Amino acid sequence: MHEFGITSRIVSTVMQAAAEHNATRVLEVELLIGRLTFLNPAQVQYAYRVLSRGTILEGSKLVVEEGEGAVRCRRCGKESSLELPPQGCFEPLPSFSCPACAGEVEILRGKECLIKGVKLLP
Amino acid sequence: MGTFIDGRGNFKEIELKQDLLQDHWTLAAANRRRLDRFGVKMIEFMGSVGTGKTSLIQQLVHRLKNDYSITVINGDLATTIDQERILACGVDALQINTGKECHLDAATLKGVLERLDLEQTDLILVENVGNLICPVDFPLGAHRRLLVISVTEGPYVALKHPTVFMEMEYVAVNKIDLAPVMDVDLTALVRDIMAIRPATRVFPVSCKEQKGIGELAAALVPVQ
Repeated sequence: MHEFGITSRIVSTVMQAAAEHNATRVLEVELLIGRLTFLNPAQVQYAYRVLSRGTILEGSKLVVEEGEGAVRCRRCGKESSLELPPQGCFEPLPSFSCPACAGEVEILRGKECLIKGVKLLP
Repeated sequence: MGTFIDGRGNFKEIELKQDLLQDHWTLAAANRRRLDRFGVKMIEFMGSVGTGKTSLIQQLVHRLKNDYSITVINGDLATTIDQERILACGVDALQINTGKECHLDAATLKGVLERLDLEQTDLILVENVGNLICPVDFPLGAHRRLLVISVTEGPYVALKHPTVFMEMEYVAVNKIDLAPVMDVDLTALVRDIMAIRPATRVFPVSCKEQKGIGELAAALVPVQ
């Protein structure tokens, strides 16, 4: 995915929020990344370090929580979690279908890239 | 935007709850609303470099241009080669050159849609930049999205790109006339695509031999 572009928006969004609250430093940013975005948390961390240099975010901690994927079957209505292999491998191949009836599914959760909260120094 | 909770120690915590990917979908939805206001349907074509996206659009244009007023938008890093190929088919075409951007995005499309006479248009066919991976994550607002692959990409293209095929409603497999030469088992390739997303509609086509084009055209339009 496009980790640098997304992370530059994380940095600019936090800077704007910090300015609105007259903060002098950002201490911590809490981020939720859904597994179905396939954003790589390690690359987001790297981009965050690079992009926060020289800003009031420099040296702050980026806490990344990974959110599991969830789908709902369009045929039988069953909601299920979409089990994905751990980062860095893709075995076995995930099947994008209902585990109960193999019907077509829609995504309920897992597509988020959400800034949940920020810790600021006044 | 944020709400102060309380000072805890010497720092403050604010809640943001701002989704950074949502903006793409919001912009895409705005494009869709604009198209819907004019009763225009948009179909997006995605796929690697050289799979035959432009050739397939040419074939579809020949079949559909008598029934629909069509405009084609071609995305490429450089050149107006694709635009010229479409213009030669007798319909309007606009070329977007992205320089080094590997995909089109909803913001770019918004600007293009503003330049078109949507009153006089029935159908917009958008050819994304040749790239199998990135465009999928950047919705434009199209009513239908079609992935174009070809047997010249080898037999493992679906298995090696499951995250792309997971969300594809329509897949065209082009150059089936070359399957024997490429030693690609078409049945196995289709099976791989269906294993990743059983609801996907797969259309084997050959632009060169004009095979399967009618079936694909009938599945894509009219857009409900």
